[in-house]
Amino acid sequence: MTHEQMNPTIEKIIANIEKVMIGKRNVAELSLVALLAGGHVLLEDVPGVGKTMMVRALAKSVNANFRRIQFTPDLLPSDVTGVSIYNPKEMEFQFRPGPLMGNIILADEINRTSPKTQSALLEGMEEASVTIDGVTHKLQRPFFVMATQNPIEYEGTYPLPEAQLDRFLLKMKMGYPDLQEEMEVLNRAQKEPPIEELAPVIQLDGLLALQQEMKEVFVDDTIKRYIVDIVNRTRGNGSVYLGASPRGSIALMKAAQAYAFMYGRDYVLPDDIQYLAPFVLSHRIILKSEAKFEGTSAEEIVNRVVARVPVPVRRLVK
Amino acid sequence: MKRNLPSFLLYLLSFLLLWEWLRPIEQLTDTNNLETFIAFMLISFACSFFKIKRIWKIIIKLFYILFFINRLHYEEGFFQLGWIMSFFMDIADNVELVWSRQWTELSNGFRTFLFFILLWLMVYLIEYWLLNRQRIFIFFFMTLVYITVLDTFTPYSAKAAIVRTVVVGFTIMGMLTFYRMLQKENVKVDSSFIRKWMVPLVGMIVFSVLVGMIAPKADPIWPDPVPYITANNDEVDNSAGLHRIGYGTNDANLGGPFIGDDKSVFVYEGSGKNYWKMETKDVYTGKGWLVSGANSERTVLTEEDIVPVEPAADSVATVKKTARVILNGSYNFNYFMYPAGVSKIMKVQPSTANGNQLEFEATNERISYYNGDQKPVVPSFFSVEFDSPQYNVTDLMVTTEFPPEMNPDYVEKYTVLPENLPARVKELAEEITAGKTNWFDKAKAVERYFSNSGYTYDQKDVAVPGENDDYVDQFLFDTKRGYCDNFSTSMAVLLRTLGIPTRWVKGYNGGDFQAYSEGDPSTQMYEVTNNNAHSWVEVFFPNQGWVPFEPTKGFTNDVSINYQMDGDSSGNSQVTPPANVKKPQQEEADETAPKPEAKKDMGGKAFWTNAANHWKLIVLIFILLAGSGAILYRYRGKWAPYGILLHYKFKKKDESLESAYLILLNQLDRYGLKRKEHQTLRNYAQYIDTFFSTREMTKLTTLYEQSMYRQSLPLGTWKESSELWENLIKKTIA
Repeated sequence: MTHEQMNPTIEKIIANIEKVMIGKRNVAELSLVALLAGGHVLLEDVPGVGKTMMVRALAKSVNANFRRIQFTPDLLPSDVTGVSIYNPKEMEFQFRPGPLMGNIILADEINRTSPKTQSALLEGMEEASVTIDGVTHKLQRPFFVMATQNPIEYEGTYPLPEAQLDRFLLKMKMGYPDLQEEMEVLNRAQKEPPIEELAPVIQLDGLLALQQEMKEVFVDDTIKRYIVDIVNRTRGNGSVYLGASPRGSIALMKAAQAYAFMYGRDYVLPDDIQYLAPFVLSHRIILKSEAKFEGTSAEEIVNRVVARVPVPVRRLVK
Repeated sequence: MKRNLPSFLLYLLSFLLLWEWLRPIEQLTDTNNLETFIAFMLISFACSFFKIKRIWKIIIKLFYILFFINRLHYEEGFFQLGWIMSFFMDIADNVELVWSRQWTELSNGFRTFLFFILLWLMVYLIEYWLLNRQRIFIFFFMTLVYITVLDTFTPYSAKAAIVRTVVVGFTIMGMLTFYRMLQKENVKVDSSFIRKWMVPLVGMIVFSVLVGMIAPKADPIWPDPVPYITANNDEVDNSAGLHRIGYGTNDANLGGPFIGDDKSVFVYEGSGKNYWKMETKDVYTGKGWLVSGANSERTVLTEEDIVPVEPAADSVATVKKTARVILNGSYNFNYFMYPAGVSKIMKVQPSTANGNQLEFEATNERISYYNGDQKPVVPSFFSVEFDSPQYNVTDLMVTTEFPPEMNPDYVEKYTVLPENLPARVKELAEEITAGKTNWFDKAKAVERYFSNSGYTYDQKDVAVPGENDDYVDQFLFDTKRGYCDNFSTSMAVLLRTLGIPTRWVKGYNGGDFQAYSEGDPSTQMYEVTNNNAHSWVEVFFPNQGWVPFEPTKGFTNDVSINYQMDGDSSGNSQVTPPANVKKPQQEEADETAPKPEAKKDMGGKAFWTNAANHWKLIVLIFILLAGSGAILYRYRGKWAPYGILLHYKFKKKDESLESAYLILLNQLDRYGLKRKEHQTLRNYAQYIDTFFSTREMTKLTTLYEQSMYRQSLPLGTWKESSELWENLIKKTIA
């Protein structure tokens, strides 16, 4: 896949991000996939691996309004969405937008806050609008949330309900850098952090245009069938308590379109599906407790399913 | 199911399948008017096909049932309603009879009624199978079992029925499977898709049926149980069906299989083997033989009287002979058997004090034995004196037509044929005797015809003529398989069509040699068993009398004919060694004889009999063919690509890429580079390229991906890529 010609704009964005992030090209790519597809990303990882840096670099590259919300147990929904405050001078309530009113939002440690606050964020993600005091405020476009969560075994967390996990297009792990990369990180840390010097590659308008273009990517019926086959198999799997929903199928298709677009193609390949399936589907299935005790992860299940569904290599019989 | 052609076909085929159940009934039971029931079935199927409201269905069917019960069993008109009362009474009575299990007492009207109800139920059941279950296998299987059981244990021959049932049954099953799958997978289809299913279905059925019909059939591993069953069942009507071999007097209905019986009938001592006549018959009915004239002229004889059989003409030389006959105790007719040219029957045992007498019936030349009270007596011993005729071929060949002075009644009596005898019998007779002028040559030609023309001697697989069949016609043209009755009757009838008088003779053939007589080596003992019961033909020559002929394949009658003559003739005989002069001619005849047989061997049975002789060769050829086929298939990876390369050389369209690429995938797979099911083409292409150290597969795959997943190809793709493709294919051959 590496020898494919990437979309030049996206290539530049990724190059931009790589200036600050070492390694982690795939994370950058996937984040861009989600951004192009109009979805959101859930990063499941421990603190300190560069999540914030990643998002900030992305935001800078597209010249987006970047906000960050650090979720704590005492955070209130209004802290996220904004609040109406009475202005005695003008004798009326004035809306003070919260951090959700940005383009690119880093929702850090989303599982540490109360479900009420979580749902305020998730509502915004789904509807692209928030309602405060009966007034609906449209969120800015593009709107992209990158949420992080500590692995749920940690103390003092409110795990996200499955229905809400479904709202994220992709879920991925960042992972630690390898030795070489980490040494490079140290090298860079000695200098001025380069993030401040990043120049935008495109403007927000350009990003919106890319999002529109992405929708033109052709998905053949064989590919749709392939997607549905894979999603269907997650439902029948022995270790799975609840399989992926049709929303999962849609997400997989959109992500694949964005991914194909990123690689300069105007059609989706089975390869795209295979690559993206674990990221798109693993957080949408609930494992049986037996499977969990055995130490099977959802990613493994998805990979197993993908390994079992035959790739379409000839046309459907009409 | 919609009311369209396929569902119409399904109904029609189901009707045919159900019809198979009714067909044997007519033959095996005394059920008549079967067409009424068939029409009822048709109406029932039509009702359900047209989806008539249930209430109307019931009214229509009930009306039909009542109407035909009235027509079949009541004299009154249908609308005179009085009969309905008695019909209901009848039903009430019969229900009581059923209750008391007196099955045989049931009235015919009630049986008809029950049969209608049964058919009604069956149609309903089939409809349910077709529409709701979309499965017909159980019914199909039961039909097969039913037919095969009937075929095995009754005289019903299911040869055609089994073919019909298999065709119909598999067609229904194939169609139902198709529709079941459609329903299950919930897909819509167009006609081309239906064709894709139906054409192979029809092909497979036609192919398997043809193979089944042509293929040689193994003989059953146990004997046909039908003879046993019918032989032990007195109630079975033997008139047309199976017979036990042996002498019998009723020949009105010939045909059907025989069961062998080696019970001894009599033993005779004489100077040589000869046929033993019992009687002759003169009227051919189309089904068998009768004797003309109910009250024939009877002559009472005593033991020393000359038996007034029609003698051979004076010009025929005779040799005086005697024979002694010892009859077995199981012989229970009061008739004598006698050799040709019988003159006296003497020393008959048992004899009684008031003097026994012999009686001669002129019409059928039967000699019976009575005591003084006109009661029939079964003889146990007698001796017979006869003048064995020695015919001379020159004399025999004289006759070409009736001398005008012959009694026309006599001529009429022995040349009459049933009016409905098919014309092709006569045509065949003329064909066989073409070029022959005299009666003797004609008779010989017909006699010989059977041994040369693919006729088979068989006692078991012998047909019974159906209602509209002629016994001779059926044997000559359809079955070509039978025993003495078939051959002899056919010869008699064939000659009669040419105006040559013939009659049918029954009796025994010469039997088996036992021993030389004690003290007299010139006479021998022969044993005649029921298996030796036989029939043959006598042809009347005005100047010679009645001359016996033996048309049955594998039998010879030692009639003495002297072939010494002056002129040239094609006459020959299997009996008397011809003179030296004739030898080359005989050889010639022997050489030419097998030729027509070889030509006709193209036909089914003859082909297989021929094949059976060369089975080793055939098996060898088959193994060779199969082996080379298997090798070709096994190594198709080596040679098939050349053909494919050539084939695709001439392809110009870009769309060829798709099929070509798929062929390449198969070829690579055969080569050993297997693609896992979940492996994407791109991934696989990399694997292939690494293996061959090229980039060709990846390039080609990118193009194929565009065609496959993008549904569009840049112009000229195939032109560009065909080289890549060819290279890859060539790599797999190398």
